[in-house]
Amino acid sequence: MKRNSCPYRPWIGWAILCTAMVAVQASSQLSLPPQERHQLPNGMTLILMEQHELPIVSLNFVIRAGSITDPVGKEGVASLTAGLLRQGTESRSADQISAQLDFIGAQFSVSAGLESTQGSAEFLSKDVTAGLGLLADILRHPSFPPEEVNKRIQQRIGGIQSAKEMPGAVMGRYFYSFLYGRHPYHRPVGGDENSLAAIQRQDVLDFYRHHYRPANTILAVAGDFDSRQMKTLLQARFGSWSGGKPAKAAVAKKPRVKGRRLLLVDKPDSTQTFFTIGNIGVHRRHPDRVALRVVNTLFGGRFTSMLNSRLRVESGLTYGASSWFDNYLQPGAFRIYTYTPTETTEEAIDMALDILRNLHEKGVDEELLTSAKNYIKGQYPPSIETSDQLARLLTELEFYGLDRNEVDQFYSKVDALTVEQAAEVIRRHFPLEDLVFTVIGKADEIEGVVKKYSEKVERKSISETGF
Amino acid sequence: MILTLWLAAATAAAQDFEVKTHTLENGMKILVQEDYSIPNLALYIFYRIGSRNERPGTTGLSHYFEHMMFNGAKKYGPGEFDRVMEGAGGSNNAYTNRDLTVYQDWFPVSALELIFDLEADRIRDLRFDPKIIESERGVVANERRLGVDNNNFGLLSEQLWATAFAAHSYQWPVVGWMVDIENWSLDDLKQHFRMGYSPSNATMVVVGAVSAERIFELARQYLEPIPSHEPPPQVTTQEPEQLGERRVEVRKLAQLPLLMIAHRVPPSRHADTYPLQLLSAVLFRGQSSRMYQRLVDKDQLALFVQGGSSFSFDPTLFTIVSRPRPEVSAPAVEKAVYEELQRIQDQPVSDQEVQKAKNILLADFYRLMKTINGKANAIGTYEVFFGDYQKLFRAAQDLEKVSPQDIQRVARAYFHSKNRTVATLIPEKEQAQQREGGTQ
Repeated sequence: MKRNSCPYRPWIGWAILCTAMVAVQASSQLSLPPQERHQLPNGMTLILMEQHELPIVSLNFVIRAGSITDPVGKEGVASLTAGLLRQGTESRSADQISAQLDFIGAQFSVSAGLESTQGSAEFLSKDVTAGLGLLADILRHPSFPPEEVNKRIQQRIGGIQSAKEMPGAVMGRYFYSFLYGRHPYHRPVGGDENSLAAIQRQDVLDFYRHHYRPANTILAVAGDFDSRQMKTLLQARFGSWSGGKPAKAAVAKKPRVKGRRLLLVDKPDSTQTFFTIGNIGVHRRHPDRVALRVVNTLFGGRFTSMLNSRLRVESGLTYGASSWFDNYLQPGAFRIYTYTPTETTEEAIDMALDILRNLHEKGVDEELLTSAKNYIKGQYPPSIETSDQLARLLTELEFYGLDRNEVDQFYSKVDALTVEQAAEVIRRHFPLEDLVFTVIGKADEIEGVVKKYSEKVERKSISETGF
Repeated sequence: MILTLWLAAATAAAQDFEVKTHTLENGMKILVQEDYSIPNLALYIFYRIGSRNERPGTTGLSHYFEHMMFNGAKKYGPGEFDRVMEGAGGSNNAYTNRDLTVYQDWFPVSALELIFDLEADRIRDLRFDPKIIESERGVVANERRLGVDNNNFGLLSEQLWATAFAAHSYQWPVVGWMVDIENWSLDDLKQHFRMGYSPSNATMVVVGAVSAERIFELARQYLEPIPSHEPPPQVTTQEPEQLGERRVEVRKLAQLPLLMIAHRVPPSRHADTYPLQLLSAVLFRGQSSRMYQRLVDKDQLALFVQGGSSFSFDPTLFTIVSRPRPEVSAPAVEKAVYEELQRIQDQPVSDQEVQKAKNILLADFYRLMKTINGKANAIGTYEVFFGDYQKLFRAAQDLEKVSPQDIQRVARAYFHSKNRTVATLIPEKEQAQQREGGTQ
């Protein structure tokens, strides 16, 4: 494969909309297809968008609660709750649910994030009544059978052990834990070996009862259906769901970390060093979000980005280098990420830092800016091509309090960015001196090297529990 | 990257997904499906050359060559292919597997003619710059370190295939052995280009918001003048019949054991492909599947279990992969897998289970049809592996004909010990603790 399968993190949620349109010039504006938004008397938000290209109906739902509300020492409760929804309801066993979902060829998944729990389901249109019945049962009447709770906890502990064999799979957890210190974002969404073992069934029940409520739920449906009929169906399935609105868990903003800090995670059998360099970035609604997307495309968001050009194309030090900004209600991380053979660790980290310095010193010129704008606009339509992408976009806009202008004005905002504004965005959002490093590799061989990047070095072994 | 076998079925009439075809005078076949849902296009070029066409000493050359196709030609020099394409709003990638090398471009309609110019340039006049050859060697070595040396799934899979095939070229990894990556030469690359990259050895698929006539017109202008030459020599080696189980162990630092069980199955064109697809769905698709129910849910032996095979030109492997849970041994998982394989041979699958498998495959088909990218890849994949893209749209009828007895028959024919290769990763943990010292 020419590229790493995940050369850069897609900007989920930035995705915008268009469909069933005739060919237009890449520069002309796309617009979101018509949608209907309803609020049921119990507070549940419904959003409908008809798309008749294929006989498929896609659903996406968001519960406004995620892992930051997990009890301390029991990280993983939100995530476990999400995973257990389909493992039994008051009227169906786990096996019955699986058998029924599989029999209609349905897709169904739910997972927790830091601040929300997101799920998706997809059915052939002919099966939508049965599918919605299952979905409503799973969301409204899960029974969390004790044996299923224990099973999933044991599986997840094993899953963490398995993931620790691959540094790329756990890098984000180590980096967030180290970067965010005591801020709630530092806690691993899926928990760790110890916190999972501490979870009782009652914790799951409490989490569910407190957060899975209609007023806390957004459900978007996109695909091949008639809106009036769909609305009736949804009202029948969710109208009688009761429960008040829980208090919101407010999270403080974490300021940028000052100075330099480095975490070294020892993995003695590794022949490569994996590293992340970054700091606190921006929140999802930040006014600079479109400008930042353009600038990061140039820095580390595409194949010909500055990072990938030098670290991979020109020097062969890595198979892929990238950067991205995570988006949450409060500022998420900015990260540079790549990996290199153990013996070229210093060369690669030096180069990454040099590229960052160059970004600040040289900025971007008109030609580069035009290239990035074309790239973003040209690659945008496939990100909003399908009914599942649309349903997901709709719940995310609703969750973050954004509207269709995210789509309808996207191209014009991209086009409006000037070289001067780009320079300002670089100055403001890309850290230069204040940097947090996480390095995973053969510590005995690279500890001497990494000490030069930070006076403060913390060392862990990957076989220790936790992150 | 191995092309994942996805399983297609369709009740939709073929005219719902009309494909127009044209063959250039130099032998390149072009398939176009118009789709105006977004103002974009997906363009795939399938070359019928992969690691099966290689020889010992230059293993991995097809994949390495795939990388070199992005590193400069006559009109567009080093780095220009990507720079120009991204600057016009396009992106690209490529994959190589045992049978094929496939190039992918995704771009807005406005970049269409430019893409043809870029593709024609590299097919006709690829440049071989010694300096770039060396830096790309480093990139590929890093890809191998990531996917094999630092990935126990990749490592064990490599050993599995090397053990299952003694004669046929499926035995070596697509990425190549590290020593071969370090040693192939400029001449090897040039020879590979001559062997694999004749237009007559390629099939192009375009799906998106432009007329087929316009695509054919651009193809005549940009691609038809490129002369054809000899296609790669036929791969004549056939793997001799396997006469007993083969086993291989890998011992290294690891958190948990890993188990891979492979059975040899026929190539995609064989009539047993459809029963095997349904068998695979019964065993592995969804939480109600037999293997998930037994290994993950009921007996709680494994963290996960998966299985299947990829489309192929030659007899290949149907591989089952499972990771035992902590405190569970690989042999315990292996035993349960065999019991499930025996059960499906002893007793025909119920009509309900067969119908479920068919429904899953039908839903898969529609999911594939959701994007211009999915359609382009699927049309091309069927065209090259089955010799006819229309098999894609007929797959539902073909699957519908499969009976529970057919599934039982293929289970008996292929899932027995004489036809089996087993690879096990055994963690060496104690050694890890000795080396690790304390933390600071």
